[in-house]
Amino acid sequence: MFSVERRVPRVAVRSLAVLGLISAVTLLCLRLTPVNATTAGFVYLIAVLLIAAAWGIVEATAASIVATLCFNYFFLPPVRTLTIADPENWIALFALLATSIIASQLSARAKQRTHLALDRQLEMERLYALSRAILLTEANRAAPKRIAHHIAQIFDFPAVALYDRDTGDVYHGGPEDLGAVDEKLKQVALQGTLLQEESARTVVTAVRLGGEPIGSLAVRGSSLSDTALQAIANLVAIGLEKMRGQEAASRAEAARHSEELKSTLLDAIAHEFKTPLTSIKAATSALLSTAVPKPEEQRELVTIVDEEADRLGRLVTEVTQMARIEAGKIQLQRKPHAVTDLVSAALQQVRPITNGRQITVEEAENLPLVNVDAALIQLAIRQLLDNAFKYSAPGTPLSVVARSSKSSLIIAVRDRGPGIPERDLARIFERFYRGPGAERKAIGAGMGLAITREILRAHGGDVSVKSQPGEGSEFTLSLPFSRPAENA
Amino acid sequence: MSAGRILVVDDEPQIRRVLRTALSAQGYEVSDARSGEEAVKKLGDEKFDLILLDVNLPGMSGLEACRAIRHETLGPEIPIIMLTVRNAEKDIVEALDAGADDYVVKPFSTPELLARIRAALRRAPLPQDSAPQKISLKDVEVDFVSRQVTVRGRKGRLTPKEFDLLRYLVIHPNKVIAHRELLQAIWGPDYGDEVEYLRVFVNQLRRKIEPQPAKPQYLLTEPWVGYRFRLPDRE
Repeated sequence: MFSVERRVPRVAVRSLAVLGLISAVTLLCLRLTPVNATTAGFVYLIAVLLIAAAWGIVEATAASIVATLCFNYFFLPPVRTLTIADPENWIALFALLATSIIASQLSARAKQRTHLALDRQLEMERLYALSRAILLTEANRAAPKRIAHHIAQIFDFPAVALYDRDTGDVYHGGPEDLGAVDEKLKQVALQGTLLQEESARTVVTAVRLGGEPIGSLAVRGSSLSDTALQAIANLVAIGLEKMRGQEAASRAEAARHSEELKSTLLDAIAHEFKTPLTSIKAATSALLSTAVPKPEEQRELVTIVDEEADRLGRLVTEVTQMARIEAGKIQLQRKPHAVTDLVSAALQQVRPITNGRQITVEEAENLPLVNVDAALIQLAIRQLLDNAFKYSAPGTPLSVVARSSKSSLIIAVRDRGPGIPERDLARIFERFYRGPGAERKAIGAGMGLAITREILRAHGGDVSVKSQPGEGSEFTLSLPFSRPAENA
Repeated sequence: MSAGRILVVDDEPQIRRVLRTALSAQGYEVSDARSGEEAVKKLGDEKFDLILLDVNLPGMSGLEACRAIRHETLGPEIPIIMLTVRNAEKDIVEALDAGADDYVVKPFSTPELLARIRAALRRAPLPQDSAPQKISLKDVEVDFVSRQVTVRGRKGRLTPKEFDLLRYLVIHPNKVIAHRELLQAIWGPDYGDEVEYLRVFVNQLRRKIEPQPAKPQYLLTEPWVGYRFRLPDRE
């Protein structure tokens, strides 16, 4: 990039240098090794050619004129005048002038071509760099911003603006500000034309895909050929299109996923409700028929109905709590509770599904009260117990341990199940994640652990897991002891 | 006197409690198992007249347990009624395919379950004199006394419903029997619309007695009507 301001002093410096060089040649030919006029003419010619090769046509032409004048003045008789007596010398003088000007022009043209070729090569290299950058740019929402940045960086533009017609957003790149360019970008994107503003040294070009403008690109300080600019616009079009393709694909994926989740959740909830309903229906239909005549048998059935109705009630509470937690509306009703009460209430609630499993409870002595929402913490403990039942073989022992650490209460549920592979450990607290093979073996929506985590976090605590494949798993709830302010 | 020994397999303790109470009240002797593995083990030790098997079991699923019971000669002839919460035709067919004789959807009413149990326990009544002792076809021999099937020298066994179905078709050879008639004759008077039962059982029979199950020679489908047993020498 040539700037006018920088060009002026350079021309002055070079003019001085040209004068100096010609003077040096003159001095050399006059004083150091006195030569005849022909030799002097050739030496001047060499000097002009060197200048042409080194700098360019302006300097070489100036040098040609100065050299012709010096040649005339110092070497052509009558010397020390600018007059020429012999017509032969006129020819010699013009031969020198013509040869030096033509030679300098030829040399300058060759130089220009080299320059052009180098410029093109640079353009190609930069276009390649840009195409690579666009291909490697992750196709997401931030992609257009990054593309604008890449263009400014790779092509050394002080300012770049990229307009995406689809979203109506303008993305800027480069250290300088393009100013009020938005309207121009929109206009170009609409008309698909090219807009050049000499005053602002800004070019605005349409970004087309399949002939249809999908946006526009404004560049300040571009010395690029139109072809190169077009190539940039095409690469931008590809980048934008790639992003759109990716977006459409991920939207479709998200929609599918969400549908799947909904149906899994509904299946699981339906199953959870149908289990107690089945017992109730079987018992009541037996009572209504003549199938069970004896009073003690009838009483047994009524007892079952009573217990299962309680279970349904708890399920309803749980599902509403789940929904509330899911919606992010968790309301804690904190009260001081003894740990042993929380654990035994949770155990009592899971009793109908324990199937006679041996559950040992170890509680450290003198555990302080914790200020928690009892229903939610019981739900969290129950989820861990439920999980332990589901993922360990019938008949293997379970244990619940409650102790205190420096700042929190710890409740751990251990099973002797197959354990959890390391790669799954990070994912098990995700919503709807279910252990391998769970779709057939374990019933549930895969929400239990996610809900447990939400409950604990709402209390300022957390849940963690340790597992050794083949040896079982241990889930740990930690509840920070309440600070005095919260107790009040 | 016991009306029969029933094994209840369900992981849900409350359902086992209800079934134990209701079935005992009807004079059945009830034993229960919490898992498919436990059921298989019990069948190895004791004799049962009927199994109520939950499809959704932890560990070995109900379908796996059913296949195991049928294939490992634990009880090829014990009637099995599957209990499940799903009632899509696909699930019913899957259960029958696994070797179940019938299928009850949860939640069920106890009188309905009792009727199904009675239907499963009863054998299709047949006029003794006309009942053939055995039939011999090309490559295939069915012995109705020992319930053995021999196809090209290889012996196989029929489940109770397969056996009843085949016998009913064989004693009415070359005659189209309507779906409803077959269902009522084999499963009982409460049945009639469970066409998918017939489809599954006929397919299972074809696999056991037809030389080429995909191109049946004996057990022929009469589309929309019923089935026909083709006995070539009586045509």
